[in-house]
Amino acid sequence: MNYNGFQELASTNQWGAIWPELVMAGIAILVLCLDLFLPSTRKRIIPTFAIASQLGLLGVLVLGCGCEVGTSGPLFGGMIESGPYLGYMRAFFVLSSALVCYLAISYLSRQNLPRSEFFLVTILVSASMMLLVQSSNFVMLFVALETVTIGFYVLVSYCRYSAFSLEAGLKYLILGALSSAILLFGIVLLYGAASNPALKGATSDAMNFTELGKFIAQNAHEPLVLIGATLVICGICFKIGAVPFQIWVPDVYQGAPTPVTAFLAISSKAAGFFVLMNLIIGPFAHLTALTQPLLSAIAIITILFGNLTAIGQRNVKRVIGLSGIAHAGYLLIAIVAMTNPQGASLAPWAIIFYLFAYLFASFAIFGVMVHLAGAADEFQELEHYQKLAERQPFLAGVLAIGLGSLAGIPPLAGFIGKLLIFIAAFQAGLYVLLGAAIIGVVISIYYYFGWIREAFFVKPTLPGDEAKQAYPMPGAVGIFHKVMLSLLVILTVVLGLFQRGIFGG
Amino acid sequence: MTVSLNAYLFVSGLLFAIGFFGVILRRNTLVIYMCLELMLNAVNLALVAFSRYHNSMDGNLFVFFIIAVAAAEVAVGLAIIVALYRKRQTVMVEELAELRN
Repeated sequence: MNYNGFQELASTNQWGAIWPELVMAGIAILVLCLDLFLPSTRKRIIPTFAIASQLGLLGVLVLGCGCEVGTSGPLFGGMIESGPYLGYMRAFFVLSSALVCYLAISYLSRQNLPRSEFFLVTILVSASMMLLVQSSNFVMLFVALETVTIGFYVLVSYCRYSAFSLEAGLKYLILGALSSAILLFGIVLLYGAASNPALKGATSDAMNFTELGKFIAQNAHEPLVLIGATLVICGICFKIGAVPFQIWVPDVYQGAPTPVTAFLAISSKAAGFFVLMNLIIGPFAHLTALTQPLLSAIAIITILFGNLTAIGQRNVKRVIGLSGIAHAGYLLIAIVAMTNPQGASLAPWAIIFYLFAYLFASFAIFGVMVHLAGAADEFQELEHYQKLAERQPFLAGVLAIGLGSLAGIPPLAGFIGKLLIFIAAFQAGLYVLLGAAIIGVVISIYYYFGWIREAFFVKPTLPGDEAKQAYPMPGAVGIFHKVMLSLLVILTVVLGLFQRGIFGG
Repeated sequence: MTVSLNAYLFVSGLLFAIGFFGVILRRNTLVIYMCLELMLNAVNLALVAFSRYHNSMDGNLFVFFIIAVAAAEVAVGLAIIVALYRKRQTVMVEELAELRN
């Protein structure tokens, strides 16, 4: 490459375009510095600082959506490219990161674990997720994805005194590394095909999404391309927990600290879907003959498997994990709808709306779970929720609204999210998928309401039950926790009633 | 005698398959971890071969990223395995299955 080429490349290095990511990284480093240099009596401000600064960034992002700094088009020599949905994705990850940090405060002080490192890793992982969803080059995608994954290895096994947390970390480590290797092999095959000078349309920049898309448009039936794309999709399916790559989900969700479970269930899954969205409308746009049947099959099995296995569970973290698999299935339907020209306009908005509804409802439930969890974080059973409505009516109400939204009860946000996905699927003519999804929703109402029943309705006591001690309820809910849970619940209800004005779609 | 690209790809595919089945079938966590590294190195071999035969530098560059990321992964992974060994005194998979229904 000559001098002018380098100059052209250098002119695309617009650091201003990725300022939210830089701010997140800055917050993370400041947290570490504060932990180092503050006297130990004043370290209490670190959590406040971490959360307040993220909320400030979120406020700027939400209010300043109109005045985007950077330009659209490829940046950093084609490494990243900001798509039309980037503002929503950034807001999603910053909000989720702030809420995970908030949930972590009470968890970490109860388990007597260091806090600053947890905030550091959480914020850095969120920053790399924000980079991951705008990467338009496989090198960038891989590096950002691995930053996220390695951060999660640390977070899942964060409670290093607990054999369960470590075991969950080990399981996530082995299966995560396996999926990374599969993803990598897919990338290599795509690279090998697209850089082959013997093929028509071969490119010198084969890792770039745009160039690769152009190549695939001309060689959609090349076996190397088909195998490579399948392997890449399999690698991403692991991250979103779709069947048959879901084996890690229940165990890891149960063993991980509860705030990390929330982080895995919400941010990690959303990042996987945003990446899949970029791939489906980007390089794999001309592979519909492969992606449509592949993703449809995965979606159907995922919905049925997730819902059916969630029925018998007694551990609430496993219920959340397995029902999260089912939610991944519903979202996959929208991804399939995106491959179809009729559904392509609505489906991306449906995915974003669904993920936001999922975020509000899930964090409300995790907020309740963190408050109720005892010292044994891994064993939060459904029985612990007995008589919750009698003893802590506020928490029971939050739980009911959160679970109702996840189950898709009108007029809550989860219902509108499901409705949007179903409309997109209907427009795209995916009737079989629609049928599977409706069966799934019906099953899911059964186990979500099993949880609500546990909290609200008193079981008749059988002889012999008196021996079992009632689960000790923790004390009253703090004012901050009350405000946060109320906000999440209000957002869930408001998003269910008014969608226009908040979302452009 | 020159070695053809297909020969490299065959070896790479073979290494990847050995690594994959090793991860699935072996019972010792450390051996599983070595098999994961084997899979990554199979990918590296294929990348370098493609890069050499197709006259494109991207593959060679990507290999450095993969090696760096693999090193970070090993650092975290071995820490988890050692911590778990201290806690449970075993590295065998079947004895590390406390998380069940």
